[in-house]
Amino acid sequence: MSITNLLNNWSFYRQKRPYQGQYDLNRQYSEYKWAMALDLDICTGCNACTTACYAENNLPVVGKKRFNQGHVMHWIRIERYWDENMGEFPEQGASFLPMMCQQCEEAPCETVCPVGATSHTNDGLNSQNYHRCVGSRYCSVNCPYKVRYFNFWNYPSTAWPAPLPDQLNPDVTVRTKGIMEKCTFCVQRLNEAKSRARTEYRLVRDGEVVPACVQACPTSAITFGNIVDPKSKVAMMWKNQQVDLYKDMQEKDNSVRGYRILEDLRPFPSVMYLERVRDMEA
Amino acid sequence: MGRVREGRVLKMEGNPESKISGGKICGLGQAAVQVQYNPDRLTQPMMRVGDSLQPVSWDKAMALLEEKTGPKSGINGNEFAFMTGAMSGHLKVLVQNYLDSLGSKNHFVYEALSPAVSFAANKQIYGVDMPRLHFDKAKLILSFGSDFLGTGASPVHFAKEYAKFRKAPRGTLIQIEPKMTMTGANADRWIPIIPGTEGVLALGVANQLLKHDDFSKTVPADIVNLVGKYDLDTVSSITSVRSDLIGHLAGLLWEKSPSLVISGASVEGHVHGVQNAAAIQILNRILGNVGKTVDGQAQSPFPQLAPATGSFASLKAMNDGMGAGTYKAVFIYGANPVFTTPSFMGFRDNLRKVPFKVAFVNAVDETAEECDLVLPIYTAVEDFGSHVAWYQPEGVEITMQQPLMDKLYSDTRSMGDIMLDLVKQRRADEYKAWPNFFSYLKTAVTNIKPAVKYTDTDEHFWYDTLSHGVIHVDAPQQQIAENFSTEMLDLPTTVNSPDPKFPFYLIPSERHYFRDGRHANCGWLQESPDPLTTVVWDSWAEIHPKTAASMGIHEGDYLEVSSQNGTIKVKAYLFPGIHPDAISIPLGQGHESLGRFAKGVGVNPFKILNPVFEKNTGELAMFGTRVSVKRTGQSEIVVKDEGPVSTQMGRKLVVTLPADVAQLSKEI
Repeated sequence: MSITNLLNNWSFYRQKRPYQGQYDLNRQYSEYKWAMALDLDICTGCNACTTACYAENNLPVVGKKRFNQGHVMHWIRIERYWDENMGEFPEQGASFLPMMCQQCEEAPCETVCPVGATSHTNDGLNSQNYHRCVGSRYCSVNCPYKVRYFNFWNYPSTAWPAPLPDQLNPDVTVRTKGIMEKCTFCVQRLNEAKSRARTEYRLVRDGEVVPACVQACPTSAITFGNIVDPKSKVAMMWKNQQVDLYKDMQEKDNSVRGYRILEDLRPFPSVMYLERVRDMEA
Repeated sequence: MGRVREGRVLKMEGNPESKISGGKICGLGQAAVQVQYNPDRLTQPMMRVGDSLQPVSWDKAMALLEEKTGPKSGINGNEFAFMTGAMSGHLKVLVQNYLDSLGSKNHFVYEALSPAVSFAANKQIYGVDMPRLHFDKAKLILSFGSDFLGTGASPVHFAKEYAKFRKAPRGTLIQIEPKMTMTGANADRWIPIIPGTEGVLALGVANQLLKHDDFSKTVPADIVNLVGKYDLDTVSSITSVRSDLIGHLAGLLWEKSPSLVISGASVEGHVHGVQNAAAIQILNRILGNVGKTVDGQAQSPFPQLAPATGSFASLKAMNDGMGAGTYKAVFIYGANPVFTTPSFMGFRDNLRKVPFKVAFVNAVDETAEECDLVLPIYTAVEDFGSHVAWYQPEGVEITMQQPLMDKLYSDTRSMGDIMLDLVKQRRADEYKAWPNFFSYLKTAVTNIKPAVKYTDTDEHFWYDTLSHGVIHVDAPQQQIAENFSTEMLDLPTTVNSPDPKFPFYLIPSERHYFRDGRHANCGWLQESPDPLTTVVWDSWAEIHPKTAASMGIHEGDYLEVSSQNGTIKVKAYLFPGIHPDAISIPLGQGHESLGRFAKGVGVNPFKILNPVFEKNTGELAMFGTRVSVKRTGQSEIVVKDEGPVSTQMGRKLVVTLPADVAQLSKEI
């Protein structure tokens, strides 16, 4: 998609995003639509995923001062919440929430980009084109999950004192000052797997490729896969949890744990969370 | 395992063939590449010239080693000491052989956060250092201060079992501890308690259980009698835990069987640490968990490779020896005692009394700064090696370490190669078959072949071993005993009178990515928010909001935290998950050396610990220090990931479902 094409057909592309009941998954995606399921009952908040993400995606370490200014670049972060009515002590522990780009189907960030730097790929990812990004930061403002990170500084020149650059992943661009970045579901791994599958005249098998966070997670709290394939674990989990990619405000049985965060804003996220469980009798 | 591209290791992953990790990895494991490419790595040998360390060639360095400790030096075994961190595998054997060649018995294994007290308690009760714990088979886990998900014996493995425990039929986790750990944050019920009184609470619960005929026959009458004095009111007043909760805990344990009752560092780090742990373990006996959720690990057929996990006793012996001027030479590898020992020990001054001190390191730390010769060694991803973890879930697993890349710096050497050269100083003939550690390891590992019933050639076995990364040895399970006596359980039934000069209990907490501080120079770990406070790049003092309000303390206020042995100045963080009489400061920061990411960041609470010792083992009672807290009037922002509000503000971000409503068995 060229920028001219995008601008000439702006209204078409804007409307292409789905609304309730307009689309079904198989019409929208023929081969792949990547999605996640994240079980908050077994996520322990250990941060193994976030460190794995730093290693895989060349995330710069920004240091204390810049962290304080909100310039931290963690594509996946663990939010910690205390219960609102907890009294003197948090008797039911803490709530941990791993938060990364939700790869929304109707992504609020995509429509506001003045240069079309962030758009949907044909495997359902919300992509970020670093070369096209001019750093307006509208996308970040519009993201309800606050998972877009802006390069306020020229990190390639400061964040990796030699020989730390030797660790950088050559499959992932090192981003420079003035552009926006975010979780890509480890698109470099996905592309490699898709390319490998294509040479073997097949589709990527379930479990053949996972993002770095999924691979590291000690409790296997995150499930990743192709939701177009009804036999993939992630598709079965979504179905089992009565979560439909193109529906919002879904009515479900009380006992079903699946939900999507801020679903009522209708971004149609591709990440389903499973509710944290607590034994109230304990 | 690691991903390698163009001869460079890029990323670490867990080995799917390991029964311990199952292909999973923690953040510390991920950070191994940051140790490898650390900008502050030591790249050449350094020798002390006057007050500073100066670069020197390996030839000169080895010549100096030969001069000071070689056969012609005249040094005898008693005048030499070798301190290492926890060690296992064939490098440990080589260190032992070197000491034998010198006629020395002075191998001091020291870990500041060693499991020595827990081992001592287990040894007395079960006859083994560490039983096998089946988290996944328990319907209820009652954990007294055991942070098994964060810092325990095998956090990645336990996390894997924990995930199974939480699947249908979902188990319940109850955590009792003075300061919430990561494990506590995941509990269904978290109960704060006065530090050190956990054993008394366990006996209070035992008392309730033993009132039933089903349970009273499980232990001898003298124990039933002894436990009888821990009635609800007494226990409640000692522990600060409400008496109805104690009965409730007993009820839950009775209802959910089998359960698993475990203790952790905050229970064991007291004067009566072993008794505390024993009092907690008696619940497993009463509830009949032994043999179900607690049983024996496999008995390793290779005791020489078994891990030495270290103890404070070992540190003390060496420190005393140095103080008395016994040693002419000391070697230090894998430990940083100048950083991790409390000031009262005077370790740095005692070390200075030793005429010749050698450190083997990746980067110059506080201990290496004091040494006369500092030798740069390979990192874990450059070297060969073998390791045996001290917690073995299935059989015995020998983990093979092999280089993921060529050495980054030409002037670094393999620790194994250095040790082999040193052994050859006195036993050249015996070791002449092995030109380097690689060949030694290959021979030694190949000798394991019969134990795993491998029938192909030695060469095949070796390459098979390297390609799998692990050797699984089937070994018979250790039989565990159940010895409980009244002496083990007789905990004081009087309330500790608070010390008006030092009214707070100090909890030096172990952060899961920092441990004793050796990894503090990794940017990723510094910038990884603490799970509970979300603070980065700093130290902080956790204080209960109620206590803080009564003292007029706000977040970011600098506090002077003083024990009898020193004062540290640290920022306050208001934290609801802590007992109001306690204050917690995380370990691992406050480095004066080690590199740019660690130096000058935060404070080191090791330094202000008091000389309080566990009475059975002589280990330092890490949680036995009392402190006073004073506002300084200064204040600074606490840099953290959480926003200004710490709740969800009514939004549906993390939704909580009651366990009796959830239908996990219908889930995929």
